[in-house]
Amino acid sequence: MSGHHISSAKFLWGIGIALFFLTFVTVAVTWIQIPEPWNIVVAIGIAVVKALLVVLFFMNLYWDSKFNSLLFIFSLIFFGLMIGITLLDTLFRNDPTPLF
Amino acid sequence: MSSTSATEEKRLDHVQHHFVDSEQQFESAKMGMWVFIVTEILMFGGLFVAYIVYRSWYPELYLEASTQLNAFWGMVNTFVLIGSSLTVAMAIRSAQLNQIKGLIYNLYITIGLAFTFMVIKYFEYSEKLGKGIAPGEYYTYDGLEHEKANIFFSIYYMMTGLHGVHVTIGIGLMIWLVVKAKKNVFHSEYYTPVEITGLYWHLVDIIWIFLFPLLYLID
Repeated sequence: MSGHHISSAKFLWGIGIALFFLTFVTVAVTWIQIPEPWNIVVAIGIAVVKALLVVLFFMNLYWDSKFNSLLFIFSLIFFGLMIGITLLDTLFRNDPTPLF
Repeated sequence: MSSTSATEEKRLDHVQHHFVDSEQQFESAKMGMWVFIVTEILMFGGLFVAYIVYRSWYPELYLEASTQLNAFWGMVNTFVLIGSSLTVAMAIRSAQLNQIKGLIYNLYITIGLAFTFMVIKYFEYSEKLGKGIAPGEYYTYDGLEHEKANIFFSIYYMMTGLHGVHVTIGIGLMIWLVVKAKKNVFHSEYYTPVEITGLYWHLVDIIWIFLFPLLYLID
């Protein structure tokens, strides 16, 4: 099977260490108290970079069939739709406080 | 019949008759797993939407309630899960290189890390439940001022709980892989179950990568 990508151990460790480092960074930035809403932007931004590293180089989408990437991207688009359409309701209610 | 052709035979006996060859079977299984991952993202997506909606309604609740979560243990668990993702990636590499011993060792480490994650989670849960921080109407803790404090913890328990269920299922899958690897089922031409279990495990890792800052690191 020539088509299978085999990552070197060094490369996998490199990705792992990058993920450990970014985890430390995401904790460290809470110590310096970034003002709203930038603290959320930074936290989500770091999480997105970490998730991308995992998806591309641990789940091998970088070398994989483009169709699998397409599936993944579509799930994110529909997730975005779910957030967007729900917020169009919940953000613009006259009485935003529900009973629960 | 030479011994090499007998080996060849064994190398291909995993191919089911409705596939053209081993490669097509592998690609089909992997694509099926990606379709499953899409459904997983949308299932967790519903919970993330609940999180976002309630955070937009009660931003101060999230700031106050997240102080009850211990960011240190959350960080330790993040390191544990990332470490286990690394060992799963190493397990797949071992299988690709026909190193069955390495495959089994990496799976053992992964199982150990997954158990570590669940043990830390158990202590976190029992500490909270002991204080009366339970989901929904069972919430009895009076240390938080916000009247809807139970909502944050309902979301917390649902998200981390569903994630914990996935980790537990993952442990079961890894044990199944070890059993199969010990029976010498896997080799460099056939390691599909290792590959797709790996995909599942990385997904579980990714979900935790988002849960950690969203729940533990709000203030």
